[in-house]
Amino acid sequence: MSRVSAAAAFCATLKRDLLISIKRRNEVLNPFMFFLIVVSLFPLGISPEGAMLRQIAAGVIWIAVLLASMLSMDSLYRSDYEDGSLEQLLLSSQPLYLLVFAKNIAHWLVSGLPVIVVSPLLAYMLSLPAAGYPALVLSLLLGVPVVGMVGSIAVALTVGLGSRGLILAVIAVPMSVPVLIFGTLAVQNSLAGASPVGYLALLGAMLAAAASLAPVATAAALRIALHG
Amino acid sequence: MAGRWQWLHRLGSPRWFYATTTRWLPWLAGAMALLLAVGTVWALLYLPPDYQQGDTSRILVVHVAVAGASLSFFPLMAVAGTVTLVWRIKLADMVAKNAAPLGAWFSFLTLATGSIWGSVSWGTWWEWTDSRLVSMLFQFFLLLGVISLRAALDNSATAARACALLSIVGCINVVVIKYSVQWWNTLHQPPSPISMQVGSPNGPEFWVATAIMAVAVYLFLALSLILATRNEILERESKAQWVRELALGAT
Repeated sequence: MSRVSAAAAFCATLKRDLLISIKRRNEVLNPFMFFLIVVSLFPLGISPEGAMLRQIAAGVIWIAVLLASMLSMDSLYRSDYEDGSLEQLLLSSQPLYLLVFAKNIAHWLVSGLPVIVVSPLLAYMLSLPAAGYPALVLSLLLGVPVVGMVGSIAVALTVGLGSRGLILAVIAVPMSVPVLIFGTLAVQNSLAGASPVGYLALLGAMLAAAASLAPVATAAALRIALHG
Repeated sequence: MAGRWQWLHRLGSPRWFYATTTRWLPWLAGAMALLLAVGTVWALLYLPPDYQQGDTSRILVVHVAVAGASLSFFPLMAVAGTVTLVWRIKLADMVAKNAAPLGAWFSFLTLATGSIWGSVSWGTWWEWTDSRLVSMLFQFFLLLGVISLRAALDNSATAARACALLSIVGCINVVVIKYSVQWWNTLHQPPSPISMQVGSPNGPEFWVATAIMAVAVYLFLALSLILATRNEILERESKAQWVRELALGAT
């Protein structure tokens, strides 16, 4: 039996998850379309006037991102749980938190990154002034992975449940509050002419903390959910 | 090495807990009733009206005590959760299970007493720019999340460990939320420094009443938690010999 290095296992997991996402496009596309639809509801529901939209643009995009990631995360470990490959991940001799981290990155690449890429377009449709764009995109780049990794703990805890749609949101959404606050504050600050760097640095600190701690917690949660 | 933690396992025996708390309960209840009576009468009858807030400052005696107690739930659940995860002591989970609804209730009471006081003193029942209101609201939501996770998981051993992990994560999260909402300008007054001068703002007549009330509320918390845990013990250990003997002896 040949020994596989941790780096090779990490890359294999990442590649496998990306491949599965390409094969199951709908699971990736639906949350993305949900994101577009939620954002486009706000002008209709609140006011189509630019002056109003400009003020809420960053918050609307951030909230829509949070809601869409709750939907996309739902499938994070589900099919792996159902076909037994999650059990294999747990049994493997590789460190589980590293494999979980690879899955988180794959998930971010297919569901987080597209949202960030279209966010300037949506920001334009919500008449966000040009000064807010860099802060919006940077805050999403730093903040969305935090939401994904922290939410991943909640997904792992509820992985064995048959119908868990709402419980995931009840647990994970309150945990994302700090990211929402700093993400929108960064944009508001740069609109007011101040520097958003402080808030972006805080988001970066959260990303560093989440990247080092959340996969460990998710690994523990998976072991609890599968083995009690 | 195995012997080092034996005292913890002895302490974590449901039977030992049940027998010990049977002896403690009258004392706890008596002390709570006495302090609650003293604190309430003091706050309602003898506390002079505040020079700015008038009679509404009496609400603060209860509000501050309840708010302080409600902050202890996540640390308590995180410690109990760690004991559950590391030593698999069932008693820790029985305490944690009952702490979650009680914590949600305390958080709700803090919000309710706070907004009643705020409606008079601030002229508003709710104020988003105040960091303590918002972080207490999200502590309430996080506790509801722990309760619903417990309710959703059928296997009680899995639920115990899952809720233990969520409590630890939640405990860290509450702190992060607390500091992140503080970035807004806050309306909530910073804690007033206590003063030894009678008649000054937050003088001894006020903070001694609050301290008495705080001890009473903590005793109430301990009492409720112990009573709920005792019920939990009887339910989970209903097949144990000593529980059967207890039940037969009672009838």
